[in-house]
Amino acid sequence: MLARALLGVRRERTYYLPWITRRGVDCTLLLSNVEARFKEGFTRGPFLATVTQYNARGKTVGRYEVSLHDPTDTVEVSLGDTPGHGFATVASERINSDLYVTLSDGTSYTATHGRHEFVEQYPPWTAAVLATSTALLALVGRTLPAFARDQYVYVGPDSRSHVLLMNLSNVTNRIRVVLTAADGAARRALLRVPPRGAHLLDVGRLTDPASVTTACRLRLEGNAWFNLYLVGAGARDLDGPLSLMHVK
Amino acid sequence: MSSKPSGLLSATFAEPAYDHLVELVHQRDAAAHRRLASLRMTAHDADGREVLALDVDPAREIFDLGAALSERPEERLMVLFDARYDERVFPYRPHQYAYLHPRGATDAPLYYAVNATLGGVPDRIGATNINNVETYVFRPRAFAERYSVMLGNVSRFAAAQAQLIAYYGTERVGHQIELPPKAHVEAMVAADLEGIRLSRVETKAPFRLATYVVGRRAESGHLVLFDHLFTYVK
Repeated sequence: MLARALLGVRRERTYYLPWITRRGVDCTLLLSNVEARFKEGFTRGPFLATVTQYNARGKTVGRYEVSLHDPTDTVEVSLGDTPGHGFATVASERINSDLYVTLSDGTSYTATHGRHEFVEQYPPWTAAVLATSTALLALVGRTLPAFARDQYVYVGPDSRSHVLLMNLSNVTNRIRVVLTAADGAARRALLRVPPRGAHLLDVGRLTDPASVTTACRLRLEGNAWFNLYLVGAGARDLDGPLSLMHVK
Repeated sequence: MSSKPSGLLSATFAEPAYDHLVELVHQRDAAAHRRLASLRMTAHDADGREVLALDVDPAREIFDLGAALSERPEERLMVLFDARYDERVFPYRPHQYAYLHPRGATDAPLYYAVNATLGGVPDRIGATNINNVETYVFRPRAFAERYSVMLGNVSRFAAAQAQLIAYYGTERVGHQIELPPKAHVEAMVAADLEGIRLSRVETKAPFRLATYVVGRRAESGHLVLFDHLFTYVK
């Protein structure tokens, strides 16, 4: 907290959800305020919200105005099926419920929920210092490890879990990835994720094919706040049905 | 489950022919390993009978539940993880996740948070909200899916009378479910009522049960949804 204050970093409360689309895989957000239906002051609508969709480069590619008539009303926001990924934020004064993101192949759908966390805003001088220092560290394959996450990912003969990394800040985030397979072999990568951008980490490219489903250890270090969702893929990998799943 | 404050009882359900890997620590850091003191896994049939019990090495990171249950004939088992953690873990609640995929299927695998149930003991480890009245919302358009809610009573002595309510527009359909200790059920929920689509479900119980909302492909029965419900009291 002290470091953030010294660096002038602000944290803006934000509800966000990941999104990923592929040909034949439609991504739809499902918004409601049902968890607030017994909360004083939240029993009557309308509940207004603005959904802003960012793509992998951090560009705004969609903005949707949503109105829920009452707490049990639901509204779908289709993010289409043009291939892409990123995250979407939901701004609302009066929605106090978890919101879902769903992926569908047309016959069934998978679902998970978003996160009420924050997006970090760095002032220009701090952003400039970060950009210089992380560019230098990148020359030796490193980053400034301001945030670190450990996560298991899974690789099997007919399924695997990829990782959707979301840069929840207004600065470029260099994220160092170390994936350690079950046999102890480690693979490393250094990613450069634009402000409010995202990166789909293809776990299959960092591991050898497995004859049985095994867990690999993933260590992620970034110079700014980021979070991740797992992307589940079956036998057809990213060309087939997909799932998204939050992590703690 | 003991009433020691450093105990955590988590619960899931297992079916045959799934890869099912359960994470015993959420984050693979050294501190998390130090904090896990012991772990006992038990599996129970639908009537609550214990059909398997294992002391799991607390140094393990991943428990292969699919392999452990591969010889079991039951269609569905409730699996309990009774863990003891170093008290330094509190107030943060150790969180378990698991990976689930029907072997050989083209479906996407699911990755889900294992229910932290606590065995009906009032919640003492961080989550202070009411967690025995929950809800889950469904997409309004129709899919070729079947829906249900899996409920299990993880308590040692107390039977539970739970309510499962399905909402179709302004109509509601209630189900009363009796669950002796360690018993469990998959309660089917119709996807529509006279043409009106299922909009949400709600569960009410006298104390925390193991609860998962379930969606299955209509054709294969494979799980496409296996998720926790959401409390009304945030």
